[in-house]
Amino acid sequence: MRFRTDFAKRYLSSRYGLAGLIMFLTMLIMALFAPVIAPYKPTDISHDMLSPPSKVHPFGTDHLGRDVFSRVVHGARVSLTVGFVAAGLSALIGIVIGALSGYIGGVFDEVISKIIDSFLMFPVFFLILIIVAVFGRNLVYIMLVIGLTTWPSNARIMRAQTMSIKEKAFVKIARANGESPTRIIFTHIIPNGMYPVVANSAMQIGGAILTEAALSFLGLGDPSVVSWGKMINDARSYMSFAWWSIVFPGIFTVITVVTFSFIGDGLQQALYPKLSEVRNE
Amino acid sequence: MKNIVLDVQDLSVHYRINKKVIRAVEDVSFKVEEGDFVGIVGESGSGKSTLAHTIIRLLPTNAMVVSGRIELLGYDVLSLGEEDMRKIRWKEFSMVFQKSLNALSPVHKVGNQLADAMKAHNPNLTEEEIIDRLKQLLRMVNLPERVLKAYPHQLSGGMMQRIMIALALLNHPKFIIFDEATTALDVVTQGQIIEEIKSLVKSLSLTGLVISHDLGVVSELCDEIVVMYAGRLVEHGTTEQILQQPLHPYTQGLVRSLPDFAQEKKKLSGIPGNLPDLSQPVHQCVFAPRCPIATEECFKTVPSTEEIDGRRVACLKVGARI
Amino acid sequence: MSLLNVKNLKKYYSAGLIKKRYSVKALDGVSFDVVPGEIFGVIGESGCGKTTLGLVLSRLERETSGEITFKGSKLSGTLKLDPETRRQIQIIFQNPYESFDPRLRIEQSLLLPMRINHICDNDAERREKILGYMKDAGFEPPDAFLNRYPHELSGGQLQRISIIRAMLLKPTFLVADECVSMLDLSVRASVVNLLLDLVERERTTVLFITHDLSLAGHVCDHIMVLYLGKMVELSTAKRIVESPLHPYTRVLMSYSPSIFKKREKINVKKLGVETAIGSGCVFEPRCPYSFEKCVEQMPPLIEIEPNHSVACWLYLKT
Ligand SMILES: Nc1ncnc2c1ncn2[C@@H]1O[C@H](COP(=O)(O)OP(=O)(O)OP(=O)(O)O)[C@@H](O)[C@H]1O
Ligand SMILES: Nc1ncnc2c1ncn2[C@@H]1O[C@H](COP(=O)(O)OP(=O)(O)OP(=O)(O)O)[C@@H](O)[C@H]1O
Ligand code: SF4
Ligand SMILES: [Mg+2]
Ligand SMILES: [Mg+2]
Repeated sequence: MRFRTDFAKRYLSSRYGLAGLIMFLTMLIMALFAPVIAPYKPTDISHDMLSPPSKVHPFGTDHLGRDVFSRVVHGARVSLTVGFVAAGLSALIGIVIGALSGYIGGVFDEVISKIIDSFLMFPVFFLILIIVAVFGRNLVYIMLVIGLTTWPSNARIMRAQTMSIKEKAFVKIARANGESPTRIIFTHIIPNGMYPVVANSAMQIGGAILTEAALSFLGLGDPSVVSWGKMINDARSYMSFAWWSIVFPGIFTVITVVTFSFIGDGLQQALYPKLSEVRNE
Repeated sequence: MKNIVLDVQDLSVHYRINKKVIRAVEDVSFKVEEGDFVGIVGESGSGKSTLAHTIIRLLPTNAMVVSGRIELLGYDVLSLGEEDMRKIRWKEFSMVFQKSLNALSPVHKVGNQLADAMKAHNPNLTEEEIIDRLKQLLRMVNLPERVLKAYPHQLSGGMMQRIMIALALLNHPKFIIFDEATTALDVVTQGQIIEEIKSLVKSLSLTGLVISHDLGVVSELCDEIVVMYAGRLVEHGTTEQILQQPLHPYTQGLVRSLPDFAQEKKKLSGIPGNLPDLSQPVHQCVFAPRCPIATEECFKTVPSTEEIDGRRVACLKVGARI
Repeated sequence: MSLLNVKNLKKYYSAGLIKKRYSVKALDGVSFDVVPGEIFGVIGESGCGKTTLGLVLSRLERETSGEITFKGSKLSGTLKLDPETRRQIQIIFQNPYESFDPRLRIEQSLLLPMRINHICDNDAERREKILGYMKDAGFEPPDAFLNRYPHELSGGQLQRISIIRAMLLKPTFLVADECVSMLDLSVRASVVNLLLDLVERERTTVLFITHDLSLAGHVCDHIMVLYLGKMVELSTAKRIVESPLHPYTRVLMSYSPSIFKKREKINVKKLGVETAIGSGCVFEPRCPYSFEKCVEQMPPLIEIEPNHSVACWLYLKT
């Protein structure tokens, strides 16, 4: 399909997009093969506490003598999971609600639009904070909550897409052919209109990872998993004399967020090519 | 013997896109005599606009003139420097562009935009002189003076198209190209503009080209017609010859695909098939795959343009009737 | 017995859901009858409401008021149709490139509507049928086209497939909205001919929308002329083309570029920047024959000869 190869070509023509992709693949390999790459188990305690980076511990050790490098590598698993699950959920909800709202229109659309607008104005992080504080510090909750609170921007994009696609002749013909609204939404509108939401979701993955880190940093993270946020939180008290225990997880968090914003940039480029690159037809 | 105003010789223009070469114009030659209008017809993608843009040297950067020579009003257009070209373009010759309806800026009044365009070419004119000339121009294209105070969106398609024509006539050129100047308009407006162009051409004694895919429009305005197919000139003759007695099978097909009021309710005849892929080099008659009378020979030889009874045709089976 | 009867159909578009700032009278009191098996032409210039009429009649857009009767039962009032009636009314649009879901192969685009409407028992039979239609339409070999995506086909090919898609559902009534106006002259004929062949074979009734009077005269049995949402003339195609009565139709006729016959053009009045329409005749601002009466009141549509109705005061002077 020409569309796909063109899409890939335009994506790779963005320098950021290419860099983002390479960084992401590296990170994915790190997460998938964490047990192989990490020299120690992330929870292995040793007597070698707070020792600076060395040959045996490339990123040094923390206050319990755990290898920071191994923990960072394993932390990638948690971060990527949080990012993908939360952003995926957000995309799913946003796409369905946005498409329904745009397609059905009328009063339903007005109500949904109002909800979307209020969500977008509301400081979502506080909402997440409260919910996690009330319901408990569980990674699953955290992912769900992030997903359930960030869908409105996706819904808004999908709604706009739907409004333009539903005026296209092929949708009108589908209606005349007797296709049901559900079928039209799921076979024609969503598959044709969801790409901008995908681009937005790439950025949201970075956002979700940051949110999880922030929660962990505030002590609201899941205590049973190794995450970068939690490492930073643990290392706070030793920051002044053991910089490595806080700097490495910090750097990785930042790199990950940047990676997904690069990918988002590449997707944007691929979706909305500059006018000069479009052949005049 | 009238003066030759435009002389196009063996012109080939290619576009480069995605490492492919699109042969938009191939080996086109024709002449336009003073006071004549020549129509260029052909279906979408046959290279009509490319030809026009080459003549006034406004090709996009990915286009290259592979061969040929163009002499326009005595200038050797293709070898003129950009600076010299700028001096004569719009003054000696100009063009009304296809899809020009949104060429004006939507946030400025039409009058100011026209005045700016005029000032750019005539820096010594005073405000009053400019306004006078503009009013005179509007009268020429049958527009009321108040359009000068209007914004582009307040004008209808027909009025905008008249303004584009006025814009092209701003500096009294001797040669003008109309590229699909009436295509997006409804029938009545189109008809009116055609009438207006006719009388303008006469009163200003202009020479030029009329590009259209609509044989009807071209036949109203032109003395001669050049028929293009896939970048090549396939037939060139007087309007009467082309319409009454088309020789090339493609032209014959075009003429017969027009519905006629006088006809009985019977089938329209068309030309089955599509324009060939212009990125492939051809070593045959370009029309052969769609031609109803093509023989083996047509798939082996590129027909040259032959002159027959004062007209030119590029077909190996010339004169053969379907 | 008419297949479709339309009475005083109106469609006003308004901008803004809460504050109705302005309204466009896209259709303003249109009434006509379509007899079974005929090709009923609708002509008029851009913006006169042709597409709106097609959308309302094919129940894709709700009317503001008026009555539509199809095969004796009322269609107006709701967009909900029973599946059988839904199948019987099909539509083809102007832009072939927009008429197909860009992500579906041609085969899927054709199979889906057939499945929904239970045409044939299984996909194999449906495929067989599709191939038959494609072959008749000159696709050779037909199965090579089924695997392609819409962007891999030309406008003329897509428009022919668009016609096939509609006709595979065996509609009783087909709306064809400017189905060739975006195509090149040389391929128009093949599309029009396919349409004519199929509707003749299946005895389908067609609402043929076009702005091209010569094409309408060529293919239609009756022609209705619209001007700014109002019907100004209705008669047989032959009469409209040979002896048009309404000034607008006459102007239209005189301006249709033709290579066969040079006609004397009728001069119309120039339109100003602002086009305010008062209570008078819709065509008055441009009409070369207008007189006092025309400014005051819109003339009613009156049958002044058998089968020939005109809305113009010129023919109502008694
Ligand atoms: N800037 C460009 N880059 C690449 N190819 C181009 C460019 N402009 C035109 N072409 C190609 O060159 C060929 C001729 O185009 P051209 O615009 O001259 O045709 P035309 O006869 O004017 O068609 P139309 O009637 O649609 O205006 C086409 O195949 C077109 O796709
Ligand atoms: N969805 C809409 N909202 C508001 N106004 C509309 C809408 N659709 C059409 N109109 C207006 O209704 C009028 C009739 O439009 P319509 O599309 O039916 O014209 P048409 O005869 O099909 O024109 P064309 O030949 O350009 O296709 C126009 O003035 C148009 O601007
Ligand atoms: S009623 Fe008057 S204005 Fe209207 S068309 Fe007839 S003559 Fe012209
Ligand atoms: Mg062109
Ligand atoms: Mg329309």
